[in-house]
Amino acid sequence: MTSQASTDQAVAERSEELRRTITRLFGRSLHIRTLDTGSCASCEQEIRLLAAPHYDLHRLGFFFTPAPRHADLLMVTGPMVRAFENAARKTYDAIPDPKVVVATGACALGGVYQPDPFTRGGVGDTLPVDAWIPGCPPSPLALLQGLLVAVGRLAGKVQDLDFALNGIPQ
Amino acid sequence: MPLWTLRGLRRGVVTTRYPARPDPSARLLPTPPAFRPDMLTPGLADRLVSVCPSRALARDGDMLVFDVGACTACGRCRAAAPQAAGASGEFELAATAREHLIKRIPLGGRPA
Repeated sequence: MTSQASTDQAVAERSEELRRTITRLFGRSLHIRTLDTGSCASCEQEIRLLAAPHYDLHRLGFFFTPAPRHADLLMVTGPMVRAFENAARKTYDAIPDPKVVVATGACALGGVYQPDPFTRGGVGDTLPVDAWIPGCPPSPLALLQGLLVAVGRLAGKVQDLDFALNGIPQ
Repeated sequence: MPLWTLRGLRRGVVTTRYPARPDPSARLLPTPPAFRPDMLTPGLADRLVSVCPSRALARDGDMLVFDVGACTACGRCRAAAPQAAGASGEFELAATAREHLIKRIPLGGRPA
């Protein structure tokens, strides 16, 4: 019992230390690989806008890369069509550790499509997701916030919102 | 020289200051709805659940379960019940756990 508790504590300390190390590694600069698992391309359009002058995500140290082996962060859009599952797993495996997976858009979060013979209805069952960005499509500002939350440079705030209004709706 | 070059020079830097400063264009974004618990009745909640095209809303007893992650901000619930649903105005919705995005809103309205 006592040794189990001390082991648990040691594991918790070790994982916290690891988390801090990863945050420090990713805090300055990282490369993003985007993965379309059957999205309608609205999410891709918004992701592409991140590199435009108005949002300019390079100022925050994020860069896009076409090669999973050069990537640190996998940005997954779409409801994970079953035909693509194998490729998605291979892409995930090809990214060197440590890596971050970000599910992007309502389809990837499991909102729009139900699981059926063609899609998994979300990426959460196929890949270990670290951050979730809602939106259909998420705006570039929401994507920026999501990326910063995913690498621990911003704290998420949605867990403190209750989506209840007090007064008359605007 | 193209006109937009002159306009750009006159206006200066176009890059947003987000996240250091709020972005003025953020208020134009479509945002998920927020609900008035005191206006939500069980009947109205069922109607909102039936108009939601992306299964973001569900009813669980005397609670309306709102999955922000599944919401596409289409506005159908706001059109169906303008007295009970309004824009939340929140676009910073990224979460590190899926369950952070699932909100439970009590049905506090008197059945008509």
